[in-house]
Formats: sequence, structure tokens, C-alpha cells
Amino acid sequence: MENRGAEELRTYEEINRRIQSGDVVVMTATEFIEYVESYGLEKASKDVDVVTTGTFGAMCSSGAFLNFGHADPPIKMVRCWLNDVPAYAGIAAVDCYIGASCMSETRPFEYGGGHVIEDLVSGKEVELRAEGRVTDCYPRESLETTITLNDINQAMLVNPRNAYERYNAAINSSNRTLYTYLGVLLPNYGNIHYCGAGELSPLYKDMNFETIGIGTRIFLGGGIGYIIGEGTQHNPQNQLGTISVCGNLKQMSSEYLRGATFYRYSTTLYVGVGIPIPIINKRVAATAALKDSEIFTYIIDFGVPSRNRPIVKKVSYAELKSGKVEINNMEVRASPLSSFQYAAKIANTLKEWIEKGKFLLSRPVELIPNYREFKPLIIKKREFVVKDVMTREIVVGRLSDSIKDVARLLTERGIDHLPIVDDENRLIGIVTSWDLAKAIAQDKKDLESIMTKRVITAKENDLIDIVVKRMAEYKISGVPVVDEKNHVIGILTTDDISRKLVGRRLL
Amino acid sequence: MKLKLVYSHENVKKPILAKIVLKTNLLINIIEAKVTANMGEMIIDIPSEGEQLREVIDYLRSEGVTVKEVVRTIEIDHDRCIACGACVSSCPADAIKQNEDWSVRFIEENCIGCRICVYACPVRVIQALGD
Repeated sequence: MENRGAEELRTYEEINRRIQSGDVVVMTATEFIEYVESYGLEKASKDVDVVTTGTFGAMCSSGAFLNFGHADPPIKMVRCWLNDVPAYAGIAAVDCYIGASCMSETRPFEYGGGHVIEDLVSGKEVELRAEGRVTDCYPRESLETTITLNDINQAMLVNPRNAYERYNAAINSSNRTLYTYLGVLLPNYGNIHYCGAGELSPLYKDMNFETIGIGTRIFLGGGIGYIIGEGTQHNPQNQLGTISVCGNLKQMSSEYLRGATFYRYSTTLYVGVGIPIPIINKRVAATAALKDSEIFTYIIDFGVPSRNRPIVKKVSYAELKSGKVEINNMEVRASPLSSFQYAAKIANTLKEWIEKGKFLLSRPVELIPNYREFKPLIIKKREFVVKDVMTREIVVGRLSDSIKDVARLLTERGIDHLPIVDDENRLIGIVTSWDLAKAIAQDKKDLESIMTKRVITAKENDLIDIVVKRMAEYKISGVPVVDEKNHVIGILTTDDISRKLVGRRLL
Repeated sequence: MKLKLVYSHENVKKPILAKIVLKTNLLINIIEAKVTANMGEMIIDIPSEGEQLREVIDYLRSEGVTVKEVVRTIEIDHDRCIACGACVSSCPADAIKQNEDWSVRFIEENCIGCRICVYACPVRVIQALGD
């Protein structure tokens, strides 16, 4: 884009002069959308100096650098814990980084780094425990004490990835409840969860990154913070831009920094971020005026456990916010995980700060890139898949076989699992030696009454590790391997795995 | 009125609810059921009150079913709630809704006491009450 960031309608200096003289015109993104609808984009971009935005959602890539000061005798902290949550101490002697999604060693999934940050900001005492490496400089071996935010020297919130421009929404096609970073997903397309602030989303409102860059002053956690660069996994060409931010924790508020837990997933931190968008040119005005009905995201099926989860539907935030989305002719209930109420509060607060002259805008030192290659992680070490280990010479049974035939087959071939197939070799059930024992105990005569019909299977390219976990989960010792059409092509048993895969090398 | 029924090993195989329906013509709705060979737990919604309700409860008890009234299942601490909505679509019974300003509203009548919302709440401000 030519002239990205061109100050054609007004400069930062002009805006700041108007802020100081008290005649700046600020609107929240919601108000700006209404203004544009009433008066048109041309007039709106001339009349309005700044549009404020806001978002309040779970931002796992958040944390704080803390400096505790030196004890007497001093310690070089090698490992340290805050309320039993491990903090990274591999920096200088008494500095640490407490990450939001690191969980307490004694209360995992209940309490984590995000909660430590919230407790510090709300003035609570936090237990500090540390182990040191004894040297001539640092004779102390360990320490235990309590600290408050006031006691320590510096506390800097430094978040490597915040304020996703939009976020994928989630649904679950599988037949069990999933506990994900997008909340509880009920089985069989039971609900949809989504994130992001839609028309209040800070980064979406300047989606070409014409005003957002290093040094942009922002609302962060109830105080003032700064953008320090693009966020990790910044992927602006797909409207998945992110920013990294920092700010002094001591002037923030626990209202906008809330420790949180995603049940059976992890702990995290809800962070309030608000960015002022100066209307420096018409392109910025146009993106700031985007409505929920013009902002789209994808509903992804979390029932498929792979990196490439299938897209179920493209939806607008307007449709998501209606609370109901049509999927396969069904109405599925949708609800957000980030708070629109708080997002609006943040946009309003920022607007008030600017109007009252308490917050000046800053011209970024460098704009955040509007294109960035997005790379997956390639696993270079060989990983074994089912077809490396499975037994291909399979013995199968048919429904017409008698229980006695099956018993004979199992003993003659020395196997414990017998997949039962139809005339086209498609899997319809499985019988194990244990089922035969039950058949005798309960005096059952036909195969159908003893075989398991809901068979746990594997595909030939599934990772062995994943299948082993699946077998442990269902407490089974073997799985038939099937192709896309459910034809049996092999069998994988714990016996195959223990005999053929030792020490992760193929014998 | 919602009732929680607990069936023991002895009575789990008997068609007790079916008998009540035939006898009283009540449209009993089974909201949740967990039944195994050894025991059963059910939450039913029964469109009745007064004498008729008493009769049904007495009959259930005479068949050895433990009957408990499902009341005041959860409580939301609205002061600490961040109005996100994580509990709303997680609720299989549609018992939590969001108002115009996104604050959440609990609809007691719909609640089946499953407690998914307690776990779904990221900031843990929903508390399950009693048992």
C-alpha cells in the first residue's frame, strides 16, 4: 500500500493540540459507525479526530517481569515460585517473568500466573519462594517471604501476543464434550463459542496498520501502556494480526486484569486493551467504520484433533452476536468468551481520557507490518505412525461364525482380537478373548450379542503416540486399522507396540 | 417442579415413571438421565402441584425411589462477573441468557443442575448450591 500511514486529514500534532485545547472530537467505534451511517464517510472523516476501540478477552500470551530487590545475604534465583506458580528465573539474580498460563503446582487449573498478576494488582500479598545457586556473589541458597506490588521495584506487564484482530469461532462435531481454549464445547454441534470484539476490535479498526506501530500509546489493563511491536503469530493478511504490548503494572487495575481458567485447558489472563485510532486519512476512516455485519470469521470444528481443523462456516460478528447460527439446518446457540460489555467500557474510558486531556496520542516510531509469512512447525525427527507397526496379516470373523468357530480361530492363531466384517470387508464389530469368557459365563450363543459394535479404530497414518493414548483412555489393548471406507486393513495391538517399538526405534 | 430421582439396583429395571404417566396422564419430561444396570439418576420436570404432586412423590417413594426437589441450583456473583458469555451457550438447558448490555441472566426454571456453567465460567463466579 502506497503512503501507508499518510497523515492526509490531520497530523498527530494537530490532534494533540486539539486534545490540549479541549476541542478534540472523539467517538467510540460504535458511535463512529452510527455517525458514518447518518452523515456519510466523507463528512465523518472530516469531523472526527479519533475513534476509540476496546477488547477484553483471555490473552494467554501475557505476563509480567518483576524485580524483587536483593535480600541479605543475597540470592541468585535459579527457580522461583509466586503462590506456588513457577516463574521463569533464568535472567538476572532477582528478576523473574511470571506467565499467565503457567499453573500452580499445588492447585493446577484453579490458579495460575494470571491470578498472581490479578492478586498483585489488587494489592494482595503473594508468597515468594526461591532456590538459588550459591556463589561468592550470592551466598544464599533459598528464601521464603511475601511480597506486594508496592514492595517490589519494577513490575512490567509485557505481553508478547495480545488483541487478536479477530478470532476463529469453535464448534464440536464429535460425540463427546470438549474442554478447549474456546471454552466448553458441547457434543454434536451443541454450541458455538467465539472471541474478539467485532466492531470494537482495536486491530480490525485499523486493519491496514496505518496508525498502529511501535510506540503507540494505548489503554492497557486499566492504565497506560505501549505497543512494542507486532505480536507473535502476527498474520495480518488473514485478519489475524496481533500486537505485543507493555506497561507499568503498578498503575493498572484488577478490573481490567482478571486471572481466569479454561476448565481442563489452562489458566490465563483476561486483559483489557484499548487503542485510539487517529483518523489520519480516508482509508483509516473506512476501516474504523466497519460494522459487525462486515467483519467475518470462521467457525472451526474442534471435533477434529488436527492442526488443520475443518471450517464449518464463515460468519459475520453480527450473526454470532445474534446468539444463534444456522449450521446444517440446525439453529446452534452461540455465545462469546470475551466481554463486549467491558470492551465498550474500555472504548468509553479511553474516549473520556482523551476528551479530558489526560491521554495524548503518539505517532508510532515504526508501523507494524501488514504482511507476515505464517509458518507451521515442521517435525524433523521421524515419528512412527500406525502403518509402521501394525500387523497386516489379519484374521477376521463374520457374523455367521459361531462362538465356537471364533474361539477356535483365536486359540489357533494365538490372537486376542477378532474384527468382525461384512461381505465387503467393512468393520461391523470386534470380539476379544474377554468377550468369549463373558459368553461362557452368561451362556450367550450368538456372536452379535457378545461383540462390541462401537469399535475404537485407528487410521494407518495416525501417530502411534495418539493411538496409544486412545487405547489407554478406552482401556483396550488393540484397535482394528481401517481405511476411509471402513475396510479393515490391519490391526494394532499393545503387543505389536511393545514388541516392535522399543525406545522409540523400530526394531 | 423439577425432581431428582435416584433409582437403586433393585428398582432401576421397573417401569415406574411409565406407570405414573399412565395413572395420572401427566406429561412428565425427562430432562437428564443416567441409567446403568446398577443404578439410575434422573431429573424430571413434572407439570403438577398440590395434592397430585404429593401423590406422585409418594408413589415414587413407595417404589423405593429417592426423590429430591431440585431447587436453587446455582448462584452468579454479578459483582465479579465480567459478562463474557462463556456460560451462556455452554448451558445445555438454555438457563443462562445475555441481556442487551451483555450482562447475564439466570433462568431458574430451565436449570437442570448439571453444573457445566460452574466449570465453564473462566473467572469462577458461578457457585453450585448444595446437593
